[in-house]
Amino acid sequence: MEKEVAILGVGAHPWGKFPGKDFVDLAVAAANKAFEDAGVGWKQIQAMVCAETMWAGRAGLYAGQFISRALGSRGIPAVNVENACASGAVALAIAAMMIKSGMYDIVLAIGGDVSPEGFYPALPGEDPLSPDSLRWTAIGATNPVHWALDCCRRMKEYGTTEIHLAKVKAKNSRYGASNPLARYKKVFTVEEVLNSPMVAFPLRLYEICATSDGGAAVILSSMEVARRYTRKPTILAAACLGNLVYGDPTVVIGSHIAYKVNSSVPMLSESVESSRRAYQEAGIGPQELDLAELPDNSSWHELVYMEALGFCRPGEAETLLDQGATELGGKLPVNVSGGFSSFGEAVAAQGLLQVHEIVRQLRGEAGPRQVENAKVGLAHAYGAQGNAGTIIVKR
Amino acid sequence: MKKQLPVAEGVFTWSSGKPHLIGSRCEACGEYFFPKVKLCQNPDCPDKSRIKETILSRIGRLWSYTIQYYKPPFPYQGPAPLMIGLVELPENLKVMGQLTNCEEQDLRIGMEMELVIEKLFEDQQGNEVLTWKFRPTRDATKEGSSSERKQGNL
Repeated sequence: MEKEVAILGVGAHPWGKFPGKDFVDLAVAAANKAFEDAGVGWKQIQAMVCAETMWAGRAGLYAGQFISRALGSRGIPAVNVENACASGAVALAIAAMMIKSGMYDIVLAIGGDVSPEGFYPALPGEDPLSPDSLRWTAIGATNPVHWALDCCRRMKEYGTTEIHLAKVKAKNSRYGASNPLARYKKVFTVEEVLNSPMVAFPLRLYEICATSDGGAAVILSSMEVARRYTRKPTILAAACLGNLVYGDPTVVIGSHIAYKVNSSVPMLSESVESSRRAYQEAGIGPQELDLAELPDNSSWHELVYMEALGFCRPGEAETLLDQGATELGGKLPVNVSGGFSSFGEAVAAQGLLQVHEIVRQLRGEAGPRQVENAKVGLAHAYGAQGNAGTIIVKR
Repeated sequence: MKKQLPVAEGVFTWSSGKPHLIGSRCEACGEYFFPKVKLCQNPDCPDKSRIKETILSRIGRLWSYTIQYYKPPFPYQGPAPLMIGLVELPENLKVMGQLTNCEEQDLRIGMEMELVIEKLFEDQQGNEVLTWKFRPTRDATKEGSSSERKQGNL
């Protein structure tokens, strides 16, 4: 039988802008919080998996070597993973596999990031004829343009309104306001959101997540080891990854500038894949979840990921939103951490921060945003070019 | 002397009068790609090496659109705000490109669009750097019936 994996501890540095701190500082601060939470020290960590950062040059590629040096190099392996915004989820999934294999008992998954302000820019070294080059040089398509194109089409197909988009932000802002780790603490009304400047029609400034700095860490262990430290460990029920399926009609960032129209492949196929595997692995279906953290890079994302992950059928997310089903106290609260919209995205750390929230919730430590008697939570991250990770945690 | 330069080589033709995007067609499975690819990307393709350069249709329908109000960062060097759309071509591809010769309020999903090659910006030597864009066809300004009739002869 496969080894069961426990989440021994979680830690995070708050999200925001911290001049003078680099990604290593933020990751180390998160690691120290996680050590404290888990009751283990750096010297008990047997291996680490690090989400790379795109914004720190060569150091970002070898994030694990830089972070382990700052923690005090001890010879343990430090694996680096780069899967864009899904990197945190991927780091966790790899760490879980290391435990399951029986090769390691305690593994640290970690990420820290210091992001550029404004639109994420192109990186040097690209083939000038690649879609990811041409979208900048020939078109000028920022990341939000891709989301806006799918969102505008959704409005026509499913009747999504600008009010729906504003409602997502207003909802998430209420939870972010009481989350000490969140960057933005203001509670927004729907009117205030609708009065914010348009960035890429129909998406407005307050409906698109900012770029932030942050760090998060999760310590995994085998269940035998976890029982030595805590009587009630949270259980990593699934950490499954997915990648885009050929023919996916989604306006994916970077992988294409020409997309299929008629296709038998569903939108967000990488997330359909990762979640399907995760539900199977955990033996838990979407109807059994008590809360979910979804990647709300924009309000549109929260709606479409509810559908890709099977919370409802395509075109029904707005109904759940209108009914209050995704609010605290609703049938399936979504992004009660405040979501990306309250945090801004620190790419390398974001997927791990989502897991941090789920674990706190399952332990009943979430304070005013606590989901009552939460037993099972899901965190989902996706990254550019079509890759995704779905994490299910239970107690 | 002021020259006209494509923003990237091998992505579109324009000198012969009627502009076209240059893509790939797989002779084994019939799939189309833009920009060009070296191998067919269809996992079910029986022979991924039978990929040939081809030109794509220059008329299609607006699948979706947006207006980007903020200036994109470098290496984008064109104007802002800008309109960007996806135009559905008969090759079962929706191609991204800037929209031109229209106003925000003219845009509606399903309208007929055609490919044009236009200036994106002037470089430091005063050369015109060209890119592909889509503009509404003359039919698109008329009501639905005439443009639907046209759809058969793309």
